[in-house]
Amino acid sequence: MSRRISYFKQKGDPYIFASGLGLVVALGMVTWIIAVILSRGLSFFWPGDLVQITTSGDETYLGELWAQEDAIQLDADGHKIPVKQTQLKIGNRDLYGMDFTWIRDKNITEQAYPENAVTFERLEYGNFYGFIEAVHSGDEQYGADHPELYTKARQAYRLAREKREQLRETQEAMTELSEPLTRLQREISLLEISPEGRTDEGLQQLEEMRRSAEQLEQEIADAYQALTEKYEKLYLEERGIYLTVRTAAGEEKELHLSEVVRFFRPNQMGVFAKSWHYAGKLWEFVADDPRESNTEGGVFPAIFGTVVMVLLMSIAVVPFGVMAAIYLNEYARQGPVTRLIRMSVNNLAGVPSIVFGVFGLGFFIYFVGGSIDQLFFSNKLPEPTFGTGGILWASLTLALLTLPVVVVATEEGLLAVPRANKEGALALGSTRWQMIRKVVLPNAMPGILTGLILAISRGAGEVAPLMITGVVKLAPTLALDTTFPFLHLDRKFMHLGFHIYDVGFQSPNVEAAKPMVYSTALLLIVIVVLLNIIAIYIRNNLRKKFKTSTF
Amino acid sequence: MVNIQEDIAVTTPTEPQEIPAAKPFLANERIVIETQRLDFYYNPEAHALKNINIQIPDKKVTAFIGPSGCGKSTLLRCFNRMNDLIAGAYLTGKVLIDGEDVYDSKIRLEELRKNVGMVFQKSNPFPMTIRENVTFGPKVNGITGKDELEEIVVSSLKQADLWREVKDRLDASALDLSGGQQQRLCIARTLANKPEIILMDEPASALDPISTGKIEETINELKKDYTIVIVTHNMQQAARISDYTAFMMLGEMVEMDSTKRIFTNPTVKMTEDYITGRFG
Repeated sequence: MSRRISYFKQKGDPYIFASGLGLVVALGMVTWIIAVILSRGLSFFWPGDLVQITTSGDETYLGELWAQEDAIQLDADGHKIPVKQTQLKIGNRDLYGMDFTWIRDKNITEQAYPENAVTFERLEYGNFYGFIEAVHSGDEQYGADHPELYTKARQAYRLAREKREQLRETQEAMTELSEPLTRLQREISLLEISPEGRTDEGLQQLEEMRRSAEQLEQEIADAYQALTEKYEKLYLEERGIYLTVRTAAGEEKELHLSEVVRFFRPNQMGVFAKSWHYAGKLWEFVADDPRESNTEGGVFPAIFGTVVMVLLMSIAVVPFGVMAAIYLNEYARQGPVTRLIRMSVNNLAGVPSIVFGVFGLGFFIYFVGGSIDQLFFSNKLPEPTFGTGGILWASLTLALLTLPVVVVATEEGLLAVPRANKEGALALGSTRWQMIRKVVLPNAMPGILTGLILAISRGAGEVAPLMITGVVKLAPTLALDTTFPFLHLDRKFMHLGFHIYDVGFQSPNVEAAKPMVYSTALLLIVIVVLLNIIAIYIRNNLRKKFKTSTF
Repeated sequence: MVNIQEDIAVTTPTEPQEIPAAKPFLANERIVIETQRLDFYYNPEAHALKNINIQIPDKKVTAFIGPSGCGKSTLLRCFNRMNDLIAGAYLTGKVLIDGEDVYDSKIRLEELRKNVGMVFQKSNPFPMTIRENVTFGPKVNGITGKDELEEIVVSSLKQADLWREVKDRLDASALDLSGGQQQRLCIARTLANKPEIILMDEPASALDPISTGKIEETINELKKDYTIVIVTHNMQQAARISDYTAFMMLGEMVEMDSTKRIFTNPTVKMTEDYITGRFG
């Protein structure tokens, strides 16, 4: 008996079982979170059927089925009894004030899927669910009795989009036309408040500037007038295109088609049409700008900001970290000092990221950025250029944050270079630097890339330090565009991680924004995985090249 | 933690000692390497070489034999200062190559190592192509001419008896060669620097008999043009290829003489015991 127990102990079965269990728990949690994000994130874009529910209170609702749950209700004796209830997304926020409602299942008297129920996705106030009563397109009008009312509505919609586009173009032309004048006026007002503006010379200059401003105003006056008239005409035309829509409760409303992103009849769509719609929504999500305080539309600026920031961070952290590791490993005399440095670098990885954010704010933004503004952008002060949060400072802050990871991984890569190879290089009369450059660095490249992979994973998911170094809820411009100098390092940017926080917890309409949070989280994971796959691919190619000598 | 340090402490003993005169059997040879009262310490407690006075003749093969840990490799590594890489190690005395003390501060380390090439026990080709392996030395020593490098590649590989086998795949990875070929590549790589002296640290100990035979042939060819110092565990090998043999024991040079004499009629009893296999 005792022999058997001791053999059992020797084999260590309980420990093997415990370690296996640990792995199962970890894997299970990862799978679970990914599954949740996948299912919720991907189902968001599927067009839901519209259900019309009439309750015993004679109220009628039209909307998408959202959730079902057991609510607890107290009966007359104070006993808790479960009651089934259904959550319905009823939209029409401008009319009802909220997007969702709960209906007790026992109160439902009638449930139908009306064929001609329409979902309107609007630029403002979220979705509208209802029925088309009439189409107004300029002088043309079609009533509810028209046989092809929906087709007419689509035609009107296309026309309204065109008008909207023309309006935007006209407005741009107006801004462009008045741009020199605006700039001049800005200079005048800056000079007025500055001390130089009060000297004789300054006053004279002001006078001159005012004169040229007046002259400029006169020069563009006619063209500007023409554009204004065109704008007003277009605006009136655009306002003339609208639908009369009716809610399930019978309320009628005018819906201007230029404010509608898209509309469709989900109850008439087959799987194919829905898939097509789904693809379109997915594309909108990754390629468009956000709407409705980020709860709708796309996240393209956030994707762009995240990727550019990670790239800038990598460019900053890799050379810096690799150089530090090389010096620490190859040149520095090993002793208590290098041990202390190594320990500090490792501990740096444990510093809360918000502390790095505060450091970035104090050092990069206020000190470095402020100095740059004083030196190179003093004409714009007091408006800061680099002395405020921006993508460069955020990237550098994250580079600092991920530096320990790169240093440690690079050091490991350097240690893995066979001593025989180093000695071989030195024995051939190479200097230490030649040895590092030609033998050590190429051999350590896989280790360096491992560091980069870890840095990317850590950096892309970090939000806290970004919040005080340049991330914003909505950035009107991208960090990279077609205007000189193309890469605008001073600009603020959007980030997927911050987007998740903002949409999920700071949005005025959290319930409606919830699916967006899942989709954004999914996208962030996909991007991190993609960046990692690229780095891993490069690393594996290098590994093949530098596979150690077989003997 | 591998640490490689450039500096090594050299202290000269204060009391003058008499340097032994040249050995009679070397009377007709030109001496290339000479050590004078060489003591080497890995650290103050590890006294690895004790008062070594050795003279190594030009264009001959000199073999160091002796049991493991007797200091053969340490002595060899003093000649091209590879021991500098060991943290905390230091030595006293002199190592003269062509009459110049290699531990003199005026000596440029890279120059010395170019002139005194080394082949290691375990072949250590770089993870590059065969051609890049051969041109590594010339390149780091400042030769850039394409034609010149190409010529060096051909001649070095020919001297190392590898040209025939690899001439069609110079741009293949050196790591794809067999163990013996890799070691001959390492010899070729050393030859590419056109050294005066080649140090070999048990170059064939990890190879099969056929590869070993080839290496030995190569060494026989090379001794016409180079001074070769070889450390070996294999006494037959020492007998086959060397002109002179030095027997070391516990950090001391027990005896050095012509190979023939060492293997047939050694002066010291300990040498005879070792060679006949009574210990070691």
